[in-house]
Amino acid sequence: MSSFSKSPWIIHYDASSCNGCDIETLACLTPLYDVERLGVVNTGNPKHADIFLVTGAVNEQSREVIRNIYHQLVEPKVVVAVGTCASSGGIFRECYNISGGVDTVIPVDVYVPGCAARPEAIIDGVVRAIAVLEEKNRAMMAIANSLDHVLYRLAHKSDAPEILALQKVAYQSEAEIYGDESVPALQQTLEELHADFEGTSAFTAPNSGASLVESKAADRVVFIKAVVNGKIIGSVGGFAKGDSAYVNRVVVHPYFQGRGIGRRLVAEIEKAFAEARRFEVFTGSQSERNLRQFRRLGYSEFKTESFSPAITWVYMQKERSCPLSPLSN
Amino acid sequence: MSPWVRLIIYLLGAPLLGGLLIGWDRRISARMQARLGPPILQPFYDVLKLWGKENVVVRRSQNHYVAFFLLLVIFTGALFFAGSDLLLVIFALTLAAIFFVLGAYKASSPYSFVGAERELIQMMAYEPMVLLTAIGMYMVTKSFFVHDIASYSTPLAFALPGVFLGFLYTLEIKFRKSPFDLSSSHHAHQELVRGITTEFSGRTLAMIEIAHWYETVFLLGWVYLFFASTPWIGVLVALLAFVGVILVDNVFARLKWQTAVRSAWIVAAVLGFGNILVLSLLH
Repeated sequence: MSSFSKSPWIIHYDASSCNGCDIETLACLTPLYDVERLGVVNTGNPKHADIFLVTGAVNEQSREVIRNIYHQLVEPKVVVAVGTCASSGGIFRECYNISGGVDTVIPVDVYVPGCAARPEAIIDGVVRAIAVLEEKNRAMMAIANSLDHVLYRLAHKSDAPEILALQKVAYQSEAEIYGDESVPALQQTLEELHADFEGTSAFTAPNSGASLVESKAADRVVFIKAVVNGKIIGSVGGFAKGDSAYVNRVVVHPYFQGRGIGRRLVAEIEKAFAEARRFEVFTGSQSERNLRQFRRLGYSEFKTESFSPAITWVYMQKERSCPLSPLSN
Repeated sequence: MSPWVRLIIYLLGAPLLGGLLIGWDRRISARMQARLGPPILQPFYDVLKLWGKENVVVRRSQNHYVAFFLLLVIFTGALFFAGSDLLLVIFALTLAAIFFVLGAYKASSPYSFVGAERELIQMMAYEPMVLLTAIGMYMVTKSFFVHDIASYSTPLAFALPGVFLGFLYTLEIKFRKSPFDLSSSHHAHQELVRGITTEFSGRTLAMIEIAHWYETVFLLGWVYLFFASTPWIGVLVALLAFVGVILVDNVFARLKWQTAVRSAWIVAAVLGFGNILVLSLLH
């Protein structure tokens, strides 16, 4: 049993609850239930908390707040949806202003049913959350201990679900930069990603950009994954078309960003397209970090294109004078 | 006991004792509220957990300030328990607190800003009384050195009852207990999120907790000094003072910062300065 099980600190947020679940959540702190005997502290500060309790369905005003709080919680963290509304949207599910349960905005680990959820059920939810917390902590430690052994392998269609899940986690930071959820990577479905693997889609084509429309008939599609302890923690996709290779979505799990894994992924995919003379990537105009990384890798901007009011794509390219011979790999 | 032995006992024992005292504090507080409360070892569980968490910062440098804060708090206690100059102890403690405040300022978040400002106000409130305590002890024992004060033949509190009560008052501020938990409350929810500690997380927050343990032992050590001539009474009074602080914490609501400063200065002027005035007239 790690120290996580003995000191779960909680932050509670009311998304758009009727206050029923909120009152029951606070009832857990009263002398009758006294969760502090389990080491629980109801802290108002996301940076101190381990467990994020959300009550109520998510509406247009609370979704940004939920995402903001979620990102301020420090790893390892667990999200508990308390009550029927938080779990699924409840009776408000079909309302015009409700986007559904908390899991429509952030990943939820534990669902506590009930309208209102009873204090016993909430405490049970917290105890389950502790188990998830320990599991996440173990996974973090295991991965931290094997960080030197990142494997770079070709990814296959069977990896698509894992890559998609990773993509949704990794792109949260982008959604935050633009305050906009229309970032295509967050909207992508599994079918679309499968199509990407088969080379039959427009590859996320953010718009009718000429190069991307042509891509519908890609010569060759390559996906590369970065694997730690059997888990995919990074991926990149790309396709070749004639002399050019289009590199797409360099994804690295937030835990592992800033460790050179993204750069290595780009290098690997450049190696995989041995015949290509020109590489093209695109990223959002405000994603300073991505832009900087690509510049360091030798890419330079050559055009920008508006995608949505919030997002403008910046296209970058890099020429390679002498294509690698396939045998040199 | 040689100063070096005392020093080593302090360095190793203070975090253990301090952690247990804080755990005891939480338990007594819970009992006062008709709750069961967490285990006595809870502060250690908390710190162990925080140590394993991700450390998120606004600016990396904010963590260095907290490291210095911890170091200086330990240094303050080390000077005290080694029997050094009480004035040096006071200024080392002030310096430690200033580093904490700087760390909070460095984080440049409105909550930690206001918390830092309030911490400065609290320092302003308790500093005069702390200095008067040192002066009072000097007037009785003719020495600023802790080992001379500790070996004085009669309990200092007999000659310094006002200073003693005034010091207990500052203890409440120094422990950041209600009614003076302005800069950072350890109770759930306050208007400043977590005040001065808002922007600290993971290992840094654990360091703040550990500093708090050392600080608790050091401050109770100072209470002990008032009754150092008979050690068991000294320890008993120190523990009683701690329970008293907890009781006041649970009984009072928070004061405004103006009231906190005014009351602390009035206490310093009447109890502290008055006591010293009487002493100087008698001699």
